[in-house]
Formats: sequence, structure tokens, C-alpha cells
Amino acid sequence: MSSPASRSKVQQLISWIEDRTGLPSLLDSFMNAPLPGGASVWRALGNTALLLVGLEFLTGVLMAFYYSPSAAAAWASTAFIEDQLWFGSLIRGVHSFGSVALIVVAGLHLLQVALFGAYKKPRETNWIVGLLALLVLLGFALSGYGLPWDQSGYWAKLVETSIVSTTPVVGPMLDTIVKGGSQYGHYTVVHFYAVHVFVLPAVLSLLVTLYIYLGRRHKTPPPWWMNEATVLARTEPYFPGQALRDLSMFAISLGIVVAFVVLKKGAPLEPPADPTSNYVARPEWYAIPLYQLRMYMEGPLEIVATMIIPSIIGAVVFALPFLDRSISRSPAKRPMVMFGITSGLVVTAVLSTIFVRKDANDEPFQKERLKVAAESIHVRELAKRGVLPSGGIDVYKNDPQYEVLSLYKEKCGNCHGLNGQGGDEGPEFFDYNSRAWIAGFLKDPQGRLYMGPAKKAKGMKPVEGTPEELAALTEMVYAETGAPDVKKELVKKAKDGDLFAEKDCDSCHYIDEGDKALGNTGPNLFQRGTVDYVARLIDAPDHELMYGEKAKMPGFKGKLTPEQVHQLAVVLVGLKRPTAAAAP
Amino acid sequence: MFVPMLNDAPGKTDERRGFLQAVTAGLGALLGAIVTLPGVALLVHPLRKDTVDGGKDPLDVGASEKQVKPGEPVMVDVRGELKDAWMRTPDVKLGACWLVREKENDPVKAFSTVCPHLGCGIDWAAKKNQFLCACHNTYFDLQGKVLEGPSPRGMDELDVKLSPEGRLKVAYRRFRIGSAKKEVV
Repeated sequence: MSSPASRSKVQQLISWIEDRTGLPSLLDSFMNAPLPGGASVWRALGNTALLLVGLEFLTGVLMAFYYSPSAAAAWASTAFIEDQLWFGSLIRGVHSFGSVALIVVAGLHLLQVALFGAYKKPRETNWIVGLLALLVLLGFALSGYGLPWDQSGYWAKLVETSIVSTTPVVGPMLDTIVKGGSQYGHYTVVHFYAVHVFVLPAVLSLLVTLYIYLGRRHKTPPPWWMNEATVLARTEPYFPGQALRDLSMFAISLGIVVAFVVLKKGAPLEPPADPTSNYVARPEWYAIPLYQLRMYMEGPLEIVATMIIPSIIGAVVFALPFLDRSISRSPAKRPMVMFGITSGLVVTAVLSTIFVRKDANDEPFQKERLKVAAESIHVRELAKRGVLPSGGIDVYKNDPQYEVLSLYKEKCGNCHGLNGQGGDEGPEFFDYNSRAWIAGFLKDPQGRLYMGPAKKAKGMKPVEGTPEELAALTEMVYAETGAPDVKKELVKKAKDGDLFAEKDCDSCHYIDEGDKALGNTGPNLFQRGTVDYVARLIDAPDHELMYGEKAKMPGFKGKLTPEQVHQLAVVLVGLKRPTAAAAP
Repeated sequence: MFVPMLNDAPGKTDERRGFLQAVTAGLGALLGAIVTLPGVALLVHPLRKDTVDGGKDPLDVGASEKQVKPGEPVMVDVRGELKDAWMRTPDVKLGACWLVREKENDPVKAFSTVCPHLGCGIDWAAKKNQFLCACHNTYFDLQGKVLEGPSPRGMDELDVKLSPEGRLKVAYRRFRIGSAKKEVV
């Protein structure tokens, strides 16, 4: 590899450094530290956790080069990292999924310590320091989850700080300090950020250093199943046997993390935090058992699930080395501890399973999730143009529809509904072109969502008939919208049965193409619901083809440009339920 | 080998141990490279794709041709939409420029106020009828040429367009500082 001359140069340099710092021999003492009982995969868990901490530090610092903490900038800068920065999605994904891997591996390490009885005298402090480090990792996860300031992060944090505020006596005070004010704002993000990138890394570094120091001082105990002779025979230095296992386990973890990043197309980033939305918050994965537990504790009992039970479990786990004072490390001789660990794992698994199955079978919730996912894609596309300085949900102002919706709000919103609640003086427009809207109208034209608010003197009467007849009639009107999914046989049925005449529709309305130029007391329904139809309606509701002199709505011809009318019509015919944020 | 083995214990499996050492060190180096390289890519993103973009199109500077009198430069702000990383600001001050007309009936020229020497702001020294960057005392004439001082090139001229109504539009740019060559950044 290297010539003798250069080799000796290197050795000279090493001795020079050794004389002045002692670092080479320190490194050497780590690499040659004897492992009683030899290298093992079990032992790799702790070091893999340490390597994953390093990975989190690295990816975290990298993101700090591009992330900006404030309620206005957090989401937009995260979206920039995720969607525009070179390798940004990978780095953020590794940071996000890596944190899951880290908590899992660190948890498994502590579980292994518990199973192997490695917390026993004189290693009580190792156990406590390790647990504290795990708590700090959870603190990282809790504070980090809110930093993108997207819907899921915002609402998860809102619930958690609300839990904090229910702490007896000091709750409200703590809550205000955490939030940095009486409500969520810039300081909430900045506080989470400061905790996540300054406070916790410092605390974790201290704890990890202490943990390593204590580990060296007391050495890892050999497995309980080895007798002393085997332990001695198998004892080997850390490097390379254990180092290879550590690195391999880290490589596998990294591979799994990267696979997740690729499969999930990066870490999730939902639409920006919208304090006015009805977002259905779900806890982060590690809090699911507690969340499910809380489901069974209502009212004054709530605090039992959110604070008392976690505190008791925590206290017992911390006190484990003092509760389990038997000499033997063999699990067989520690039935109480094994029972505790097993029942803890079973309860966690059961609670998590109930949670997962319940959500999986909750159809409205799943639909809501799909909607959020679609909305995320849309809004992140809008963010590529750059988000206005007001930030967050003002990204919706990049939407070409935004101006049209503003116009709608100004010109139409006073009378008409847009969100499914019904209007004050005119019909609802949400899903105006759906079968449900048309069928509802036929059944109850003077209903809350239809002409009811308009309070017409001689309005249309409900259409009476069998469900089949109504469905056929609905389809006939629906066909006029030009929708691609018209059921032709139903329309044919309606026409064959001459339902339009039979139900007396024809005394006020026309619908056939042949009659398209004819006015009547009710609107001519030919091509009802097309953009052109709606535009004509907006222009002149009192046209003889529309409501004629019975029209209550003012015409907008001359008040709006033809282009504006066209845009409004396009939006109205295509209007599906808008998100709260998209409607200005 | 990256680990200095000071007290390598002699043993019968020396050869196997040596191989394992090489494999382990190699795996460590490989993993180090795998986690570092994407990070380097992330950091050099601004070299690959600019994160700041604004003012390249001619923008109305709020002055008409007539308002610029011969020999009396006027400083105006150039305002427009700026896209800066994740943020889009519709109306922000992108920079400023001097509008100059040398003689009657000459077209109006625009010079950036940024001094090509080290980026200070160039002022008009009315007494001397010259431009002056007071940071390091570079003087420029009405055509933007260096009269004296350390600036490696003359003032940077910006493209000027006239609207049909005679209003001045300036395409604001920034140029590399400290070089003799005028180069857009």
C-alpha cells in the first residue's frame, strides 16, 4: 500500500500528534477495547443508534442552510427544500425517516439492555443516562415535526401544547412560554427551532458522551448464557469484528431509510398550516399508543392517559435497576421484569393495532387523507412560483382561480353559497352540476340549498314520482351539462316515457335542442350547466330564456367584462368542494 | 489504514484479521462518502441554479424622458417583482440607477449605482460635475468612464426602453464586482 519510507513518515506524524494530544492512543483504546464474550449483532444496536444520530446531525445541519424559522417562512422554505433544492428531497427525507429509524434502533438497544439485564449494578447510571437520551430523541421528534409548519405538524403541535396547558397549576404558564405568546405565531416556530437545533443537540451530545464514558468504564457485560471460560476465549477487540457489525447494521438501516424516501417520494409535506381548517389531527407514530389510550379516558380522566400513566410507566422504567435487584442476568430468573416488558409490548401493539384498523376502516377519514394528499401536490406546485412574504396559506394567491374566487366572493357570495351551506338569497353552487344537486332540486326546489333563500312568489313545485322516475329525470337534466359519464339508457328511458311532459315540467321549461330558442316561465334547460349557459345566466338572468321578468338576480352584463363572466362560469360549473383556504 | 494500531496483538488469525480490517475500513469510507456527497450537492445548489431572480425585464422607473435635463443626472429606484429563494415579493426595490443625458437631444442613459470596484453606492458630486464613489474615491464622468480612482471599469450601463408615452423603463441587472470585464451575475 505504502512504501517503507512514507510509512515511517506517517508513523512519525502519528507519534508527533500522540506526544502532543494523546489522540491516537485514545482512538486506539477505542478500537482495541476488549469486548467480553466477543463481537455480536446485539451489541451493534447501540452503536448503530449513535451512527444514526450522526446522520441526523449531518442532514439537520444541511437543511439549516436553507430552512427559515418563522410562521411565514417555515412552510415555504421547507417546500423549497423539498421541491426545488438539488438533493433537498433526499436530505430532508433521510432526516425525517432517519429519525424514525433512530428512535426504533435506540429503543431496541434499550430493550436489549433490559432483556440482557445489562442495567444491573454497577451499570444503573448507564441505564438512566440511556433512557434520558431516548427521551431527548423523542424531544427531537416532537420539536422537529412542527418545523415545516404544514397542516399535520401544526395541528399535532396544537394538540400537544394544549395537553401541556392542562398540566395542573403551571400548565397555562408553560403553554404560553412554549408558544412564545398567547397564541401560535412566529415565536412558536422559532421556539421549536431553537429547542430542536440548539438545546437538544447540546443535551444529547452531553448524554451520549456520558453514555460512552460509562460504557467504557463498566464495559458491556457478556451475554448471560456464556460461562467465564467462553467469555475469556471469545473476548476480542472492538475493531474490526464489532466495527464491521456496527457499520453493516448502519448500512442496512440507511438502505431502509433511503428506500422509504424513494417509495414515499420524500418526507411528507402537507399544505401550509391553516388555523381555520377542520383538519383531523393524528399523533406522530410514537404517540399512537397514548393517543389510543386517551380514547378510553374522557373528561377528568383525560389527564390519566396524557400524564399520569406515562409518568408512572416512565418512573418504573427509570427505577428498573433498583427494582430488579437479583444477581442473575438470565431472563429466566427475572420473571417479573420479563412479564413487565412483554405486557408493555403487547399493550403497545394492541393499542396501535386498534388505532391503525380504526383509521383504515374510517372511510370519510381516508377520503379526507386523499384530499389532503391531492391538495399537497397542488399547493406545492403553486409554491414553486414563490410564496408571498405573508407566507403560509397566502400561497393560494398564486392560484389562477384565486382572483376568480375573489371576484365571486365580491359579486356573488352575498347571495349564493359556495361551501355546501346554502346561500342567503340564492341557490348553492357547491357541486352545482352533480346528480345529487339536480336530484335534490327536483325533490325540493324551495329547499335551503336551492331556490328557498330566493323566496320567489310562484316558484317551482317539487316533482313527485318513483325513485326510478326521478333518477331518469335527473339524468336527463344532468346530460345537458355535457358530463362524460352520462348514463345514456337512463336518459333514453326518460325520453321514451316522456317523463318531461308527464311530470308537467314542460308547462314551464323547454329542454330539447329543437326548442332552444323558446322562452317560457321557467329557464330553458337546453345545455343547462355548460359554461356558455352559466355565462348567459350571469349576464342576464332576466333574459326570456332564463327567468324572464321573474328574475330576482341582477344581470352582470356591462358590470363584468365578458372575460370575467367566462372565468366565473368556468369556476362555477367545475366547482367541487373548495378547501377553506382556497376560498378567499 | 486509517486506524493506527499501536499495540497490535500478535495472533494466529492475523491474516483474517487484516482482511476484516480492510473490509471494515472500506465499508466505513464508503458509507462516509454516501452520506456526504448528497450534502455537498445540496450546498452547491446556488452554483447550479440561481435562487434570486428579479428585474430582468424593463421596468418603469417613474420618470419620463423629459424630466432628465442635460448634465443633471437623476437617481431613481427600480422596483419590481423579486423571487428570492422561496419568496415572491411583487413590488420591492431591486436597486437604483442614475439617469443621464449628456447633451440636449441625446438619448437618456441609465447607470447602475453599484460601483464596479467593491460595490459601494455611487453619488453625484454636483460641484465637480462628476460621479463619485466616496468609499474609495473613484470619479466617473457623465459617460460613466473612470476619471481617477481604483475602479477597474467604468459605471455599468443598464438597458433603457421608452414606452410609447415617453416613460423610461430600465432593465435592472447586477454585475460582477472587482473585474475589468462587465459580466452579468
